[in-house]
Formats: sequence, C-alpha cells, structure tokens
Amino acid sequence: MPRNTLIGVSRNLAATAIALASLAAVPPAQAVPSFARQTGMACEACHTVFPELTHFGRVFKANGYTLTNQKQVQDVTGKKEELLALSQFPPLSIMAQISYTQMKTGVPDLSNAGAPGVAQNGTAGFPQQFSLFYAGKIAPHLGAFFQLTYENDAGTIGIDNSDIRFADEALLPDNQTLTYGVSLNNNPTVQDLWNSTPAWGFPYAASNANVSPLAGTAIAGPFAQNVAGLTAYLWWNESLYAEVGGYRSAQQGVTNSLTGGAGPLDGTASNVLSGLAPYWRVAYEFNRDRHSLEIGAYGAEFKVFPGGSPDSPSPLSGPTNRFNDVAEDLQYQFIGEDNLFSVTATHIHESMSLDASFASGASANPSNTLSTTEVAATYYYRRKIGGTVQYFQTTGSTDTVLYPATPPGGPGVITSANGSPDTRGYIAELNYVPWLNVKLSLQYTWFTKFNGAASNYDGNGRNASDNDTLYLLLWFAY
Amino acid sequence: MRIASGNRRDSSRAGRWPRALLVVAGAAALAGTGSGGRADEPDAADMAHARTVAATVCGTCHGVDGNSTQPKFPRLAGQKASYLVNQLKAFRAQTRGDPDAIGYMWGMASQLDDETIEALAAYYAAQKAAASGGGNSALIAHGREVYQHGLAADGVPACSSCHGADAHGTQEFPRLAGQHAQYILKQLASFQSNMRKVAIMHGVAQNLRLPEMEAVAAYLEVQP
Repeated sequence: MPRNTLIGVSRNLAATAIALASLAAVPPAQAVPSFARQTGMACEACHTVFPELTHFGRVFKANGYTLTNQKQVQDVTGKKEELLALSQFPPLSIMAQISYTQMKTGVPDLSNAGAPGVAQNGTAGFPQQFSLFYAGKIAPHLGAFFQLTYENDAGTIGIDNSDIRFADEALLPDNQTLTYGVSLNNNPTVQDLWNSTPAWGFPYAASNANVSPLAGTAIAGPFAQNVAGLTAYLWWNESLYAEVGGYRSAQQGVTNSLTGGAGPLDGTASNVLSGLAPYWRVAYEFNRDRHSLEIGAYGAEFKVFPGGSPDSPSPLSGPTNRFNDVAEDLQYQFIGEDNLFSVTATHIHESMSLDASFASGASANPSNTLSTTEVAATYYYRRKIGGTVQYFQTTGSTDTVLYPATPPGGPGVITSANGSPDTRGYIAELNYVPWLNVKLSLQYTWFTKFNGAASNYDGNGRNASDNDTLYLLLWFAY
Repeated sequence: MRIASGNRRDSSRAGRWPRALLVVAGAAALAGTGSGGRADEPDAADMAHARTVAATVCGTCHGVDGNSTQPKFPRLAGQKASYLVNQLKAFRAQTRGDPDAIGYMWGMASQLDDETIEALAAYYAAQKAAASGGGNSALIAHGREVYQHGLAADGVPACSSCHGADAHGTQEFPRLAGQHAQYILKQLASFQSNMRKVAIMHGVAQNLRLPEMEAVAAYLEVQP
C-alpha cells in the first residue's frame, strides 16, 4: 500500500500523485493458465495458490517460460539446428477482476465547487481489470509474459507487465546446474522469482477505488510499464541467484511536442530517467523436505528529471533527483499436502538526493530518506480456503513541500498536515478458491497512521482510520 | 526446453523414424512377456541426453541424482528401470490416475518418446540411492514386522515377498527402500481407493489400516 514518493517530486504534485498512486495501487495480476496448457501440468506445480510461485514455478520462470509438453511445429537445418519450435496452440489466457470497494468514510465530492458534497461510497468495478496474456514459449530458448490490460479507472487498454526472456541451462561437474538468461522487461522486479519483491508481492490484488498514501519507494511501482530494462542473471544449483541490469525510460502515451512522435522524450514528460538506472539482485534459496527459504537483497538507483507537463514544460537537462533504493527480502514456504504456509517480507530503504526539486522549491530538504517494511503471512488449507495477514509501514523524513499540507479551503484527504510520510497499518484477507483458477477474496485494510498522523492527518479532521477499506474481489483466469 | 529426444541430436525425420519404429516394435514384442522390460539398450548419446534432461527438467523435483529432498516427489535413484519405464508410459497413456500423476506427470510425460523413456529409466536406475535419516524406532520396528511378515490375521501378505527382503525390488516390482514415507502413504491410499489401479496392490492395501501403512512407510524410508 504505501507507494510512490517519487511522483511527489514532480510539479503538479497532488494530481500526479493521485494518478500514479492509483496505478501502482493495483498490483499486476498474473495467474496464467496458458502456462498450464503449455506444460500440461496443473496450477499447483508452479503455484501454491496463484499467484504465489513454488520452487518449480521459479525454475519455470528462470528458464524463460519455455518448458513445453505440447506437440511442436518444427523446422531444422541440414545441420540439425532448430529454426522453429511452435506450440500447436498459442499460449493465450484471459483474466478478470471484478470488485467492490467500500471505504470507512467517503471522500469529498469536488465536482461542484459551489455546493461541495460527498462522493458515493461503495464502488463496483465491473471489471476492475480485464487482461489478455500471451504467456509462454516463443522459440526453443525464448519465452514471453505479455499482459494487455483494461482498467476501469483509465477506461482504456494499455500494456501491463511484460517480461521477455532468453534462458538456457548448463550442466556443471558433480551434477550441478547453472541457469542463465537475460530478461527484457518493463517493471523493476517483475522479472524476479520470489513473491517478496514489489512487483509480485502481497497484496496480489487491491482496490483502485480507495485512498493511497503519499509516499512510496521508486522501486515499488512508479516506473512500472514506463521503463525498458535489460537484466542478465545466473542461478546456480537453483539456489544462489545473481542479477544485474539497467532500466531506461520507455514511456507510454507520451509524444514529442515538436514531431508528435513517440519520442524523443522532451520537457513535457514527467518522471523521465536520466540515462540508465542500474538494478541489482542477489538471493539464496534453500529447499529441504517441505520447506523453502529464500534470503536476498536487491536495489536500484534512479536519476530522474523533475520533468514537466504539456502545460508546464521543464527541460530534460541540469540537476536530477536521485533515488537510491537498497532492500532486503525473505520468503519462507511450507508446502504440505493439506497445509500450506508462507511468509514474505521486504524492507526497502531509499536515500533521496533532491538536487532538482530542492533548487526549484519542490522539496523542503535537499535530501530525504524513506523506508518501507512489509511482512505477510499466508495460510491455505488444501489450496481451498486460506488467508493472509500483512503488516505494512512507511517511515521517512519530514518534508513539508514534498508531502504538502492542505491549502486553505482545500479538501485534504491526500495531504499531510505535518509533512510526514509515515503510514502504517494491516491488511487481512480471506480467500476461497473453489477451483485452482478462481479466487474469491474478502480483504480489509486498517490504517493506524496515514500521511504522518493517526488522527486529523490532513488538518481537515480526517483520521487515518477513515481510509480503512473493505474490498471484495472475484478473480479468475482462463 | 523440450524433453523428447526427437529434437536434440536427430531432429530430421529421416534419421529418427526407423529407430523409433524399432523401439516400438521391440516394446510390443516385450509387452507380451508381461515384464514391461526395456525394448532397447540406450546408447551413449541417449544416456548423455537423459542426464541433461534429468538435470534440467526432472531434477527440479526428483533431484538431479534422483535423491529428491521433497517428500511430494518420489526418489528415483536406484529404482528398477523396468518399473520406471512402465510408469512413464502409464503417465503418457494417462492410465496411472493418482492425483499427483494427473497434476504433474501426465503433462510431463505426454511428449516423451520411447527412446527418452528408456534412457531416463536407465539413468535413474544407475544412480546411487542416498541414505535417509532416522525416525520413530518403535514405529520402524512395527513397520519392519509388517513388511517382512505381513499381517496373517488380516490377509496381508509380506511386502518382502514381492519387493525383496532388502526392499530393493525385483525385475517386476519396484524398489521401496529409501522412499519418502509420505509418498508411500499416498500411493497406498491411491491403491486402496483404486485411483491408481494396480490389482495386486489394491488387494493388499484394502486390508491395511492407516497405522500399519504409517509403520511400513516409516520403515521403508530409512532402509538403505
């Protein structure tokens, strides 16, 4: 839940914050029956309950989604080189999320400045999200996970998570293995194998009709689908994992103001990365009996031009804001026949050097820190009935410009009276999985602190608990 | 990644079919003997391919050397090749119907050709079974009694009469020594319910009660 400080650095802070926070507040969803069709294996081979991966699922992903047990249309050269290996059925899937959101207290209706009221509380999303996937093998060592998504808040179809991989495996002496590959993807950590990192972390689905806190780290969402990253990885003995790469801006829906083309990006775009943002990841996974334990670290450094908007351009040169994220993560899974239990945890520490924003008066401090912690525990009985409890917390430097107070006469809600980004709370979720590709969820989010305070956090009398959210979800994929 | 041998060392149809036909013919000839034995001795190339497949595909669950560490997935090291061939063919034909066979192995075995099956079976049969840890000694002692002598009052024959006193199996019957107790219990339950249809084992398992099953499984898991 805490997401997106980064956007707070841009000029139209509140508007951009809402727009991007709502994007990031909907975690991308990834239950893909096309993988099951391709491998001929049931969902449980790769998932405890979708979308959480088992060890086998992680191996399948690291191998580029290419394991297939379908008949192939093939072509070879005279030297027996493979030129083509096409599955007889394309790996297509659909996914739908239908939801209902009720906040504890509704938000102001700003549509009529002369007679302000309260917006309708209780939002049906039908669908909240609808996706089409191509997820599977493309060529012998090449596979892809492509997601095209309609979202009800945007009302449009756009590109969602994408991960194209080339991978192979080498046999080392003493029966050791080395999996190696490269991933071309559009969201930092979307290529990761564990559910303890942001892109595939809990909550796997969340409301897009609630209020999101102001602050979140750069690695946890704001660049999703607006960057192109190339990373290379090694996985030794399915245990020791290392990955390095970099991301560059690849913005969607942005045009050059001179040519009207998709680029080059100019000063009308916001959140443009300067050069390449380096990304790194190390992890160790230990498997024994029914237990799987992963401990790891990951990080990235984003240098971002403050950028502008079509109405208020700002040149893509000069000082940048730098966000250096360093994170630790842990995942434990117990996968029994009847009982499945898992814990995921991550702590992200962000150091911000706000050279650009501080110079322009868009931040009160030249540098800030921000830390997020998320710890979740999940239990399922026979993959049918289960639930998750998560604790989340955001703490960071007080910055009265970056996390601004409610202006006189303003509606508040998404502001911070004391300039603090501190937010914490809990999520409890109950799930019923009648079939392995259908999930019914009842989720409740409690905020004990929101944008810096438990009570009257916006200076307009709104309490953190007013943002508590009930979320009902029907989620299926086919 | 594919695991059928067809597209690794000899993808051209001209090169592959005659050999495949030979294998099929050989298998058909052997089928009449009831042994389900190997139709063809895998050659060096088959074995090299089998090792690659075992390490990169099967090994994720069963262990590269067949000594799986997860009880959901059976240990294959030292297993009788004839038994492995029969099981892989049963998965491919979708005639072995216990839940994990359906969920995992029907898909994994669906495109395996006979050559690969033979080679994989030979590869795992040649692996050395690793020693398993200890367990409840009273339970193991009870299991030993049931395994070696059966339960005469309940009409349960001694397991050892088919699977061998050392539980290393015979040409017709699988090795059980060192197998995960959880896996053995699940198979006994599947024999009992006839989800996995094996007439002999259905008869045996029908007369076994859970405490005896648990004892036998615990005994077998620690056998070298």
